[in-house]
This record gives sequence, structure tokens and C-alpha cells, in this order.
Amino acid sequence: MILPDYYEFCCRVKLVAGHDALEKIPSLLGEMGAKKPLIVTDKGVVAAGLVDILVKALNGGVDVGGIADNVPPDSDLNVVNQLAARYKENGCDAIIAVGGGSVQDTAKGVNIVVSENATDLMAFSGIGSLTRRLKPLIAVPTTAGTGSEVTQVAVIKNNVQHIKMLFVSYFLLPDVSILDSRMTMTMPPFITAMTGMDALSHAVEGYYCLQKNPISDANSLLAVNMIYKNLTQVTKNPTDKDGRLAMAVAACLAGVSFSNSMVGIVHNIGHATGAVCGVPHGICMAILLPYGLEYNMHKCEESIAGLLLAMAGEEVYLKTPKAERADKVVSLIRKMNDDLHTLTDGRHPRYFSEVKNREGKQAVPREILPEIAKAALMDGASSYNPEDQDYEDNLMVLEAAWEGKPLDRSKIKKG
Amino acid sequence: MDLSSGFTFICPFKTNSGNKALEHLPFELSSLNAFKPLIITSQSLTGKKAIRTMINAFGDSGMTMGLFDDVTDKSDLSVVDQIKDIYIKGQYDSIISLGGGIVADVAKLANLAVSVKAADARKLSPETPINSHLGPLVVVPTADATGLETSHYASLNRKTFASVWLMPNLVVLDTRLTRACDSKVIAEAGLAALGRTLEASVSAGRNPFMDAYAFAAVCFIRENLVGAVSKCCDKKAALAVANAASMSGCVISNSDQGVLHRLGQIFQNVLHIHPGVIIGMCLKVFLEDCVKKDKNALSLILLPLAGDDKYAATPADKRTEETLKSLRGFFDELYGVLKGKVPRTLSEAGIQQFLMDDLFEVINKEPDGAYLRTLVERVGGSVKS
Repeated sequence: MILPDYYEFCCRVKLVAGHDALEKIPSLLGEMGAKKPLIVTDKGVVAAGLVDILVKALNGGVDVGGIADNVPPDSDLNVVNQLAARYKENGCDAIIAVGGGSVQDTAKGVNIVVSENATDLMAFSGIGSLTRRLKPLIAVPTTAGTGSEVTQVAVIKNNVQHIKMLFVSYFLLPDVSILDSRMTMTMPPFITAMTGMDALSHAVEGYYCLQKNPISDANSLLAVNMIYKNLTQVTKNPTDKDGRLAMAVAACLAGVSFSNSMVGIVHNIGHATGAVCGVPHGICMAILLPYGLEYNMHKCEESIAGLLLAMAGEEVYLKTPKAERADKVVSLIRKMNDDLHTLTDGRHPRYFSEVKNREGKQAVPREILPEIAKAALMDGASSYNPEDQDYEDNLMVLEAAWEGKPLDRSKIKKG
Repeated sequence: MDLSSGFTFICPFKTNSGNKALEHLPFELSSLNAFKPLIITSQSLTGKKAIRTMINAFGDSGMTMGLFDDVTDKSDLSVVDQIKDIYIKGQYDSIISLGGGIVADVAKLANLAVSVKAADARKLSPETPINSHLGPLVVVPTADATGLETSHYASLNRKTFASVWLMPNLVVLDTRLTRACDSKVIAEAGLAALGRTLEASVSAGRNPFMDAYAFAAVCFIRENLVGAVSKCCDKKAALAVANAASMSGCVISNSDQGVLHRLGQIFQNVLHIHPGVIIGMCLKVFLEDCVKKDKNALSLILLPLAGDDKYAATPADKRTEETLKSLRGFFDELYGVLKGKVPRTLSEAGIQQFLMDDLFEVINKEPDGAYLRTLVERVGGSVKS
């Protein structure tokens, strides 16, 4: 276990997991002195019946102060202000955020407004602008992937000024995160696959990026172990309750890891691909993860090799010569993508050339790769990547990931 | 691991560890909305050098701080009351605990007293309801840590308070403070951390988030304790042991009060012996008992105790046996380096009979007193009642 000369680690969120974890919400709110939560969610979550499950689980133990289901796919300042007004009108004293990243971000924004009586959310943007506790916030993730239930960040779009506001503070961490198997049970196989690979990318990048530390490492190892054991299983058998719970816990472990060690090239190029071509984040992560490992191999081969035992178990570990263990990790991740591709009847793409948009057309045309490579230069995730990225390297990674060919590591400019 | 019955985990403290970690304190305090801390420490136990290092770390931050350095190993709730008055009079807004063991106990209870606005802190009791966040608390352990500094426990006058709200917001492990001239001090801290985390790792209530802390703690002890004990100048090894001790506080706060942990507390309360001493003595015997109940009980802890290669090369049905073998080897090496500075049995500790009688009186009152007693007897304690 490596002890850096200096490190910081923080995850103050109370984590409550189980097949019936939702039922604990009334008493958890009671411990925080709250009894009238506003439920913040989106229409997809409601349509999947997840809010009904939550309300039933609350069983009258709290007085629900409203269900706001109008969170858009990208969190929006207007919606934040609207929900904050609703919170106040209804006399709410806590927030339950049920959903993915946008819902969690919106709930954090609403919490800033109602706790600080803010009229201008912008005043609280940036790093460390919040200086005191906010109202009680309970996060209920509905995918096993993003890890947003344990992150201290929120991104909210101002669609009038066309800017994205970033908020970073430990006060944005939810007080409690609920990991309940029922919340992910209805995810279709291809979403299960991509969100699970998103979680794997957090665990793996968290294990090799520059702010890695002993506690993030231990979280990553456990996450990798649980994701490798369970992801194909729950993709194959979506109603596997124990597998769903294991994936929810694993995604949270991965979230704890990457929110401390940060992420690198996989997220960097993934963010850019999402921004330029609208490819879902989880798909970008799944495709790019083996390439991120190959790109950084010369800098952190030992760390990558250190994932093999946790990932594949002792038999594979013993059969693999020491010098080949890091490569084996990469090939096992490619194999996971292949298996998920098969299990989802081809809906889980392995390469960018396989990604289709809603019209069934290629979502990432080859000629757009230079634009993505350029956009990646503007994304902050590269700061934490072990190897320094530049435009040519980004393009080389993108081209390999488009074709589905292993990276030619001899061409990486080694810094 | 079976997750189906569900679990809860929390670690409310942030960790800052390493070179010049203390210098981040002004920033960290301001992030907690605190600008005027009261430092609680002990001239006699923690030492003037550590206090000076702490004060210098504030440099030109412009932050004003107070200092209470009169904690002793006999401090009780009247000292807590005294600190409460100083805190209120000085209009402090946060507490920094500098030191190991009782210093952190006093600081946690002082934080409780000022946060719940106790009129008389001497009347605080384990039954005092603690329902919400207390004021900002920073714990800065020194090499003589017991591992409980970061935990949800605070003990004074044989009264043990337990609440998640007693845990600090921030733990600072600074290389300058976690090294010790006396190898005994580091060994005791390491043994306490090892025993408590291993005990939690074989308990029924373990969960993955707790396991992550326990795994890192056991790895650090295995890789660094002997080095830290044999070379007191090895700053990094000492820091790793301090990290393990800090992590163990989180682990035990998320598990039931184990046998070893309680024995450690009883020995500390009754005999004023560092809990690491008795935990080190009893660990192997306790784990052997676990094997009698479940022959695979120790198979998973072989991984942090022996490393990837050894774990992978050991057939599943041999892992428990190999764990005990690894632990024996580790103890032989550690106690060999210690050259008698930390006793390996109670007979070696030379505890007088009347003190053992006092001890057994307390042990007998525990719900599983009979078992605790057999453990103590098997490590060379008196059999006399």
C-alpha cells in the first residue's frame, strides 16, 4: 500500500445500503430534525415507478412536501429557482433527490438557494464559497454508476447566459446516501452495462490518477472486485436482487475513490466526446477505459497490475506472469465490453465506430475525431492523468478507440 | 460478503496526512467556518515541542488561537468544565485536540459541553443525549495515539461516551508529530490498530466501506510497524502506523464493540496500560477461537496480512492456517525487535496480584465476562479470583 508524501481524503456521507434501505429514511430524517422533505426527481424516474416505491417505503413516516419531477436531463438554473420556491411555499425542511447526476446536481443547487436564502446562485459558485451546513439532503441514486451520491460537486447550467456554473464544497455532500436494490432493478440491460462500466472507470482511474491515496485505493480494489463479479451477471439477469445491491455498493465505493483521487484521460476524452457528439457518458467510459490504461501503462504499470487479483481472482492472477499482469487487466476489461456487447444484442458498443445515435446513424463520425481531441484539451480531468496529454496523443487514442484496435504504445510521447 | 441484510457506514472526518499537513490547518478551519480555535493539549504528555510545531503551523495566517495545555493522565470532567469556561469566555469557535489518548477524550467532551451549552460539564454522562452536529473539532494525534482519537468514543473516569457526533471533522497526521523516540510507543499504537481492525474484519457486521479502511490499516501495519519500531528515524513508517491507527478509529466506530477493544479499554481504565499491550497479547488467541467457531473465519484477512502473492498461492482451505502462521511470524519479528519493551504475556508485564484482582472484578461485570477472563488467563494472567 503506497503512502504518498501528502494526501487528503474525505467522504463524510452516511451510507445506508440494503434491499429495504429506503424504509430507513423517516428515521434518518428524524435524526436530522427534519420531517417534511421535498422529493426532487425527473419524469423518467417517476415513469419507472421508482418514486412510488419510495413513497410506499416512507409509509407515512414523514409528510412529503411535494414531488418535483421536472428536472431536465441537464440541470438548469430556472428549475433550481422554481424548485427552491416550491420548497419554501410548502414549508419543507429537507430534500430527497431520487435520480441520476442531473437530479443530484439540481437538488444540491436547490439546497444552496433554500439554505442560504440566495437570490443569486452564482455568488456561491466556485470552490469553497459555501461556509456552513445546508439543509438535510438525502441522495437516492437510481443508476449504479455515476457515484454522484458521494461527490461534493454540482454543475448547473444557466441557459440564459449560456454558462455552466460549477459548485465545489464539502457542504454539498449529501448527508445520507441510500443504496437500495429496488432503485436499479428496472434498468434495462444496455443501461445497466454502460452505467456499470462508468463505475468501473471510476474505480480504475481512481486507482492510477495522481491524487490516489491509501483509502481511495482500498475503495477502488473493492469496487473493481464487486463490479467484475456482478456486472455481467446483472446485465444477464436484471432481477438479481443481490447482484443489483452489490453493483449499487460497488458504484458508490468507486465514487468514493474517484472523488478523492480524481480521474484522468478516460474521463477527459469521454467528456469531450459527450460534448461534441452527445454520446452517453457511460458508453464513452466503457470504450475509452482500456485505452486510458494503455496510454498510462508506462507510468503506472505496477498500479494497473495491482488490480488483477481483485478483478479476476487468484487463478488468473497465478497463471499470469508478473510482467503481463497489467496487460491482462486491459484485456479483461476489453473482454467485459465484448461480453456486454453480446448480452445486450449489440446495444453496448465496444468502439466509437459502433456507437449509433437515435436515428441509427453513426454517432461519432471518424472525421469529427480531431474536434474531440481539441475539445479534450479544455477539460480539467487531464490535470490528474499520470501522463501529460496533448492534441496528437488525444487523437491517437480516439482513432484507436474508434477502430477498436489496441493502442500502439510506442507512439505515446512519454513525459 | 453477504450484503443482503443491509448496513450503515459513516466516516465523518476528513484526513490530511503527510509532510507539513499542519500548515493546511488555517485553510481547513476556515472551510469549517471556524476562525478562532482553542487548542487542547498536554505539556506533560504531548510535550512542548509538538505544541510549538502546532502553533508555528499557523504562521502568518492571522488566526488567533487559545491554548489549554494542562491535560494530564488524571484529567476528569472537572477539567472539561474548566475548558468549557475558557472556551466561552474566549469566544472560541472550534477545538483542536493535539495529542494521543486522554487529550482527545477531553477535547471531544469539551466540544460536547460547549456545543450542547452544558451549564456544568461535570454532570455530562454517557446518557446525555447527543442529537446533532457539535462544533468543529480537529484531532491531531501524536505518536502515542491509542487509535481511539478518531473514533466515536470518549472515555473519562471510566465512563465511556459513544456517539457519531463525537467524531472529529478533520484528522491531521503530520510527519513531525507522528514519529517517536521510543519504539514502545509506536508498537503499542500499531498493535491496538492491528487488533481492532482484524477483530472488526472477522465480525459479522462488516461491510465493504469499513473493509476498505480495515484493509488499508492492516496493510500499513504489516508493511511498516516493524520498520517503524526498529528505526525510530523512519518518519514515513511512523506516519503509516499513525494512518493505520486513525483508520482503526473509523473501523471500530462502524462495528460492534469487540472483545479485544473492550479488553483494551478495561486494561487502560483499570491499570493505565496502553490498550495495544493487551490487544497484542490476546489477538492470536482470540483469532484461534474464531477458527474454532468457523474454520474459514480468517481466510480473507490473509490478503492484507500476507499480500497478493501469498494469498493467491494459498489454497482456499489453507488460508486460515496460513493467516495464523503469518501473524505468528509477524509477532515474532515485532517482539524480537522490541527486545522486551512491550510485554508479550501478562507475566512479563509483572502486574501485581491486587491489580489483577481489580481487573477481574471489572471483567466479571461484562456480559461475556467469563470469556474475557479465559482470554486474559490464557495470555498469562492470574487465575486467582
